[in-house]
Amino acid sequence: MIASRRSFLLGAAAMGSSVITPDVAEAARLLTAQDALATDWGLATRDLEGDIAPHRLTRIHGQAPAGLEGALYRNGPAKFRRPGGSAEHWFDGDGLIRKFSVSDREATLAARFADTPKRRQETRLDAMVMPGFGTPGDPRAEIGSPDDANAANTSVLRVGDDVWALWEAGSPMAMDAGTLETRGFVTLRDDLKGMPFLAHPRIEPDGRIWNLGLNGAQAIVWRLAADGTLEDARVLPLPRAAYLHDFTATARHLVIVLQPWVQVRRTMPFSAAFDWQAGTGTQVLVLDKDNLDNRRLFDLPDFGFFHLGDAWEERDGTIRFDVCAHADMRFAATGATEILNGVPLGGEPARLALAVLSPDGTARLERTAVVAEFPRSNPRLAGSARRFTLHTAGESPDRPFATAIGLHDWSTGQAHRYDFGPDHIVEEMVVVPKPGQGAEEAAWLVGPTINLRARATEFHVLDMARLSDGPVASWRSHTALPAGFHGIWAD
Amino acid sequence: MKTRIALIAAAVAALGTAATTPVHAQDSSVTFEFETGATTGSVMVVLFSSQAGYDGNQPVAAMTVPAGRSPVTVTFDGLAPGSYGMKSFHDLNGDGEMNFNPFGMPIEPFAFSNNAVGNMGPASWERARFNVNGAVVQTITLR
Repeated sequence: MIASRRSFLLGAAAMGSSVITPDVAEAARLLTAQDALATDWGLATRDLEGDIAPHRLTRIHGQAPAGLEGALYRNGPAKFRRPGGSAEHWFDGDGLIRKFSVSDREATLAARFADTPKRRQETRLDAMVMPGFGTPGDPRAEIGSPDDANAANTSVLRVGDDVWALWEAGSPMAMDAGTLETRGFVTLRDDLKGMPFLAHPRIEPDGRIWNLGLNGAQAIVWRLAADGTLEDARVLPLPRAAYLHDFTATARHLVIVLQPWVQVRRTMPFSAAFDWQAGTGTQVLVLDKDNLDNRRLFDLPDFGFFHLGDAWEERDGTIRFDVCAHADMRFAATGATEILNGVPLGGEPARLALAVLSPDGTARLERTAVVAEFPRSNPRLAGSARRFTLHTAGESPDRPFATAIGLHDWSTGQAHRYDFGPDHIVEEMVVVPKPGQGAEEAAWLVGPTINLRARATEFHVLDMARLSDGPVASWRSHTALPAGFHGIWAD
Repeated sequence: MKTRIALIAAAVAALGTAATTPVHAQDSSVTFEFETGATTGSVMVVLFSSQAGYDGNQPVAAMTVPAGRSPVTVTFDGLAPGSYGMKSFHDLNGDGEMNFNPFGMPIEPFAFSNNAVGNMGPASWERARFNVNGAVVQTITLR
C-alpha cells in the first residue's frame, strides 16, 4: 500500500462523501505515515495555486546533447480543489501548460494555467463547479456553451506562433508559444464555432493536421494545414457512440477505433453516460483520407483504451497500429477518481498490443505482456512503417503511475526499458529526431518525472538507441508540478 | 451536456418568429444596451412578463434592431410594473434565424436579461427575471 495519508486526507476533505466508498475508506485506513515518506504519489495530483515563473533548472546529471534545441510543451491538470467544492476526477482539473526549454545546453521551465472561462468562474466562486468527465458539477455553474466547461487540460498542438491547449469536448485554446499567455478559443470557421476538437490530432510528417471531434455516433473530421488553416471539415456518421479519446492514421487512412464502452444516456458526469457492453467487440472504422466515403469496418475482440500509436500500411495493404489495451474502462469511470483521492486502483494496467487489419477484411489483436501507456513514436515516420513504440511502464495495481519508460521493438519483440525507480513518477516522453539523421532510433527521448523523494519535477533527455543506459542529461526544478498528460516537442 | 445546451438554441430560435408588441397603458420601461463584437445583421430581442411565458416562449413584446452601431439600444416602454425576462441573439448574417453548428450548438451570440447564463441549458426564469418599476436600463453582453 503506497499512497500518502496526506494526499488522501486532502482529497477526502474536498471530495465529500459521494466518492468515499467502503473500499476507498479501507484503503485509506491502511495508509501509514511511513508510506507517505517513501512514496508520496499524492504529489501527482497536487494543486498549484498559480503560474510557475520561468526559471533555470539545476543540472543534476550529464550534459545536454549538442544539437538539442527547442522546447517540450506539456499539458495536464494542476488545480482540482477549492474550498467551495472540488473536481472529483483526475481529468477535470484546470489545464497547466508547461514549457521545458533547452538552449545552449541549459534547461528552463515555465508553466501557466490556461485562462479559461471555467477557471475564471471557479476562481470567482472559490469552488470547482463545472461538470466534466468524472465530475457531476454544481448547480451554480454557468454554462452557456461547452467551452464554458472547457478545462484545456489534455494536450498541446503547435500552430504557427501559438500553442493550442487541447481538451476533447470543445474548442482549442490558443496560447502564445513564447510567453504562454492565453489568447482565446480558436474558431476554425464561423459555422463550426464550438465544435469539439479531440486532444489527439494526428500530424503527418509534412505538418498537415488531422483530427476528429465527437458527438455520440457522429464525428467531425478536421483537416488543417501545418499553419492551422482549416482545409476541410466534414461530419460523418459512426457505427456506434463509443467513447473516443484518440484515433490513429496511416499515410492514406484514418483509423477510428470504437471500443465497447458506448454512450447510452445523456447525463453528467460524462463518463456516467457510457456502459461497458461486454461481448460486443471493438470495431475499427477505416476511412480513406482522399475520399472519406470509402469506409471499411473491421471487428476485434473487446478491449478498452485511451491511447493508440501511429498506424502504418504495409505493401500488401495490411494496416497495423499499437494500442495500450485495458480489459475494460473501469479506470476511466472510477479509477481516476480514486487517484485523485490518493488511493491505489487495484485494477490491471494497460498492456501493449498490436492490431492487425488484413486486406481480406479480417482483423486480429496481438497482445503482449508489456505494461504500457502514453505510446509515442518517431514523428518523421508518422503514418509509415516503423519498428519502435516508446511508452511509459511500471504501472501496477497498487501504483497507478509509471516508474519507467520502455521501448518496444515490434520487429524482434524485444522490450527495452529504463526504470527510474519507485521514487519517480514517469510522465509521457516524446521522440525528438536528431538533426540530419534519418534512422528511426536516431532520436532523443525527452520528458519529465516527479522525483517524490526530492519533491521536485525533473526533466530528462535519453538517447533512443541506448535507452537502457538511462538519461544522458537530467535537470531538477525547485518545485514539483503535478503529473501531466501529453506533450509535443517544438524546435 | 450538448443536448441540454441545445435547448438554449430552441428557446432563442423562437425569437425570429415573434413580432407583436402589445401596448400597456403604463409608463414603465426597460432599455437594453447590447454590446456585441460585430456590426453586421441585427439584434433580435423578445420580452416576457411571466415564468410561463418565458419557459413557453410566449413573448409580450419583440424587437429587431440593426446592429450597425454599438451599443445597440432597444427600449420597451409602456410596460406595467412587474417581473420581466428577456432573451436575445445577434443575427450576424441577417437570415432571420439563429444558426447552429453541425452538432446543434449556437454559433451566433445570445444573451438573457441580467446577463444570466444557464447551466447546460437556457438561463432559467429565476436567473433572468428582473423587476420593472419606472425606467430600467440593463447593459447586456451578447456572447
